Amino acid sequence: MSVGLTHYLVVSLLLFCLGLFGVLVRRNLLVMFMSLELMLNAANLALVAFARYHHNLSGQIMVFFIITVAAAEVAVGLALIVALYRQRRTAHVEDLASLRL
Amino acid sequence: MIDLFAWLILGLPLLAAAAITLFTLPDAAKSARLSIGAVLLAFLGSLILWARDATGEPAVTWLALGTGTGGLQIELGLKLDPLSRLMLLVVTGVGSAIHIYSWGYLHADRNRGRYFAGLSLFTFAMLGIVLANNFLMLFIFWELVGVSSYLLIGFWFARPAAAEAAKKAFLTNRLGDFGFLLGIILVWAALGTLSFTELEARLADDPAALGAAASVAGLLIFCGAMGKSAQFPLHVWLPDAMEGPTPVSALIHAATMVAAGVYMLCRVFFVLAVPGSVALELIAWIGGVTALLAALLAVQQNDIKRILAYSTLSQLGYMVLAVGVSGASRDPSVAMYHLTTHAGFKALLFLGAGSVIHALHHEQDIWKMGGLSRRLPITFWTFLLATLALCGVPPLSGFYSKDAILARTLESGHHGLFALATLVAALTTFYMFRLVFVAFTGPAKSQAADHARESPPVMTLPLLALAVPSVLAGFWGIHRVYGAQYGAEPAAAGSWAQQLVEPFAHAPLAAGAGLAAALMGWLGAWAWYRAALQDPLPARFATVARWLRDRLYFDELYERLIGWTQESLARLADGVDRWVIMGVAVKGTHGTFELLGRLLRLAQTGNLQTYAFVLVAGVALLLFLVMAR
Amino acid sequence: MQSLSFIILCPLLAAGLIALVPRNYQVVFRSLALLSTLLSLLGAIRIFAGFDTGSAALQFEEQVAWVDSLGISYHVAVDGINVGLILMGAVVAFAAVCVSREITARQKEYYLLLLLMAGGILGAFASYDLFFFYFFHELALVPTFILIGVWGRGEQRNYATFKITLYLSLGALVALVGLIALYLEAGHQTFNLWSLARQLEADPIDPARQRYLFPLLLFGFGILVSLWPFHTWAPLGYAAAPTAVAMLHAGVLKKFGLYGLIRVAVPLLPAGVQSWAEVLAWLCLGNILYCSLVAMRQKDLNLLLGNSSVAHVGFAFLGIASLTLLGLTGAVVVMVAHGFLAALTFALSGYVRQQTGTVNLDHMGGLLERLPFIGGVLVMAFLAGCGLPGFANFPGEALVLFGAWQGYPGVAILAAWGALILAAVYMLRAVRVLLHGPLPERWGKVADAPHLWHKLPYGLLLAALLLFGCWPRLLTDKIQPCVADIVRRAEAPPANSAAGLARIALPPAAAPALARPGATDGLTASRHPR
Repeated sequence: MSVGLTHYLVVSLLLFCLGLFGVLVRRNLLVMFMSLELMLNAANLALVAFARYHHNLSGQIMVFFIITVAAAEVAVGLALIVALYRQRRTAHVEDLASLRL
Repeated sequence: MIDLFAWLILGLPLLAAAAITLFTLPDAAKSARLSIGAVLLAFLGSLILWARDATGEPAVTWLALGTGTGGLQIELGLKLDPLSRLMLLVVTGVGSAIHIYSWGYLHADRNRGRYFAGLSLFTFAMLGIVLANNFLMLFIFWELVGVSSYLLIGFWFARPAAAEAAKKAFLTNRLGDFGFLLGIILVWAALGTLSFTELEARLADDPAALGAAASVAGLLIFCGAMGKSAQFPLHVWLPDAMEGPTPVSALIHAATMVAAGVYMLCRVFFVLAVPGSVALELIAWIGGVTALLAALLAVQQNDIKRILAYSTLSQLGYMVLAVGVSGASRDPSVAMYHLTTHAGFKALLFLGAGSVIHALHHEQDIWKMGGLSRRLPITFWTFLLATLALCGVPPLSGFYSKDAILARTLESGHHGLFALATLVAALTTFYMFRLVFVAFTGPAKSQAADHARESPPVMTLPLLALAVPSVLAGFWGIHRVYGAQYGAEPAAAGSWAQQLVEPFAHAPLAAGAGLAAALMGWLGAWAWYRAALQDPLPARFATVARWLRDRLYFDELYERLIGWTQESLARLADGVDRWVIMGVAVKGTHGTFELLGRLLRLAQTGNLQTYAFVLVAGVALLLFLVMAR
Repeated sequence: MQSLSFIILCPLLAAGLIALVPRNYQVVFRSLALLSTLLSLLGAIRIFAGFDTGSAALQFEEQVAWVDSLGISYHVAVDGINVGLILMGAVVAFAAVCVSREITARQKEYYLLLLLMAGGILGAFASYDLFFFYFFHELALVPTFILIGVWGRGEQRNYATFKITLYLSLGALVALVGLIALYLEAGHQTFNLWSLARQLEADPIDPARQRYLFPLLLFGFGILVSLWPFHTWAPLGYAAAPTAVAMLHAGVLKKFGLYGLIRVAVPLLPAGVQSWAEVLAWLCLGNILYCSLVAMRQKDLNLLLGNSSVAHVGFAFLGIASLTLLGLTGAVVVMVAHGFLAALTFALSGYVRQQTGTVNLDHMGGLLERLPFIGGVLVMAFLAGCGLPGFANFPGEALVLFGAWQGYPGVAILAAWGALILAAVYMLRAVRVLLHGPLPERWGKVADAPHLWHKLPYGLLLAALLLFGCWPRLLTDKIQPCVADIVRRAEAPPANSAAGLARIALPPAAAPALARPGATDGLTASRHPR
């Protein structure tokens, strides 16, 4: 069978949903973070697919931006998680609810 | 020149009061000098105005708003005519005597400065009432007189009784003033002006100008007189006002302030006498009822000042009665006649009582006096003279004025009121001689009475001075002067002998009835009180005597009434304020918002994943809404 | 000194100076405050004395354009209505600073905020531009929150602070909505009152719209003036506030709403006024009767005075509702008189509280013995509150009663009852309980105001009451031409443009004014502050 745009988009959607599910359900902060990365990469995949199938390089340029931003975000985010772990001795997201009103 | 004198007469007591308050309060002698000086100069001025037969209406504009109907032009103006000239003499004359007397009476008091300031303020306000040329100015000075009465009754404010009495006097007066102000507004709304001269001219031109409101306006204006002259049902403040120093009782609550009501009725008689108005009838009956009520209550009082207070009430009832029955003749000068003579002998009675109280070191119960005729001769003889004048014994002044009233009542066909008035005359003689017999004759009933000594000249000279008009005023043709004010034909002044028997010639039934009543009253008093060591009446008529002594429970009734109406309204308002407005509305709003906040707060779980979920769901919803179009 | 900007800027500049002075120079703060309010007072007296009575035109006018595209300019002027109010504001501000002797903690912030209040009030009364009118009022209102919260008295002070601030902010919000709606409906792109008045006379807003606009202004300004039933913030707030703040607020700031009604709502929205006047007349009975009755039940002197102050402003409302020359003039006189009276009574109660530590009437008695001066002035102030002639309240209340009689006789009768009887009841009861009677042991050490400087604020306020009471023409002659104009407008049926233009009445003293940048029409007669 020929692999068309739709197949890529479906894979991207599946990856996105897996990532979303991970963010919403997993309780370890690091795993949530990894799921977040998965969501970002799903978006990347969709963009590259569109760029390839519509012959428009803007999509691939977008991906570069996203990768850069993701990298920066990971750096800052992991630093925050480490600092938080040092404070609270836990990486469980349910223990970090002190902003409850 | 005349105008200047008039303004000075009005202004000097005010200047004295202001000067005393600002500068000389601690210094009693200086304050007294300022005050006495001002009133004596005012008396001098009044004599000059009298001698010159001054008339005129000098005025300055106090308020000027708008023109024509709906506008209000108020002047501070002085109306000089026979009525005001004679009244000026009465006020300043009696006032001078009392100012001088006060110096002696209060010689031991530290606060004499404040007293004389109050006395001068009162004099200023009273002169303002006498000289006022329009309704609003009259009202202004009316209120000022009320406030100076408040300050003077409450002079010894540390005594709860005095403080309460002052408050009661002011509030009762205010009730009358409420009606008075409404009456003034009614007159202004109907006729567009408040000046007496203009009103009189307007009503002379067109007697129906007041329309249907004539009776109501008249009665409302009478409310003011009811309050000030303590007519039934606003009579309750006058006996309590005796808590003030005795000279105050003499000046304010006998001679001048309470007479202001009658003076006002005579001043604005043209409003009351509008044809078709029933005001005068009601006024006459209220006067009669007051006279009778007060005379009955006086029969069982034991405090010398209270007896005199009720006597004043009763005489005021007479004067109001006289105004009321003058409708047909359109000439209320008989009321003014009695007012003038009454001012003289009633002030004398009070000052005499003051002399007695002073001599007995502030003992006021007549059953603790006795035998004072020997120890206080001047006081006794002047007191007796005044009593005889009050009871209407010829040839003293009271006889002529009382007889004039009785004659007028009979002439105008008010037979019921005539009988009432005669009964009151009998009662008057009865309780007055009860007082004289118990307090002045017989053995001394207490230590203080035994050791009493005559008062110093500063107190007895005014007594002698006031005795003169009490004796002679009947011969001075006062009624002719007042009559001139109302357009009566000036009758020829006869010789002294003719003057003496004039009442018998003019209206024999009235004169005879009056004399007979006086005689009967005297006989009753002589029979029961001549040598009494205690009151025989309560033994005979226990319940009635008790009712009379307890003043027919009017005070208690009023207190109950006020409690039911005003106090419960106040409680209701306070409750609504606290529970409905503050409780439900304000706290309710506060509570509602707080509840909303609490509900919204439930969404803030602090859990990161909940937030993420809500975020995603929201985005999905938005996308759906946008794309589904 | 004869310049309105001088009067307004003196306290504001002094506030700025105080902010710069270091905290330890305590004596400077009080001296600066006294000096600046004294200068404002002298300026206000000069303007009052130099006012040309009998002219309906604006005097002592100053105008500087600010935001032309919106029509906002800094425009201050006096006419008969606000000249008395400005004088009253200046006197009360000076007296309030004098009375602030008792404040010892954080004097710098206190005087700074107090001067901001004073400057704001004077600016609000002098402003002829709606924007600055509102701005100055808020400038005066915001410091009250801090002043009552920090220097307030009593256990209820936190509750009172928040209540008064939120309530007044609500009122100001409603009024702001009304003012902006007015600006938009008028459609002339100007916030300037003078030009708005003239333009709206020629081309009025649609009467149906006016009927919706007017209640916004009525209730907005009404809440600011404690119109019943939106009055409960007042007694509580004044009881909790420090003396000077109570004086300034009850005396002066409260009048802002009434002034707004007379200046803005009544002339610019005549159809609206006519439909809502009756509602206002009956609501003001709530003030006069209801609050007097509540005052009778109070045991706390400040609560009694607060309720009494709410009752007195009811008369001003009645005067406005009557829409007659007498009624409106009376309303303005009541505003001035009540300003002095409220300031005086709160100042005196503050003194008593300072001496005895309490304002609970149940524990007082016989104080007249120990406080002859203060007690004497207190008696006079209470008698003034009952409408005694000789004090400025009487001419005001009498004029209101006369004015309201034609339109609302029932209301006038009840109002007279409230003024003469109810007021006397609670006032005299207060005198009886506070000053008369035997002196209890514990007040044996209470001391009267020692020397002249201490007596000055009370004497000044009392003298003002006496002056305007004995000589009310000082006020009414000035007020009359302006009020006559307003009444004429309010009574006129809505006219169409052509007829309206033909009917524009020129003020008799009109003279061609000098051209000024961004100025309004050229028909105002003004005095230049040279």
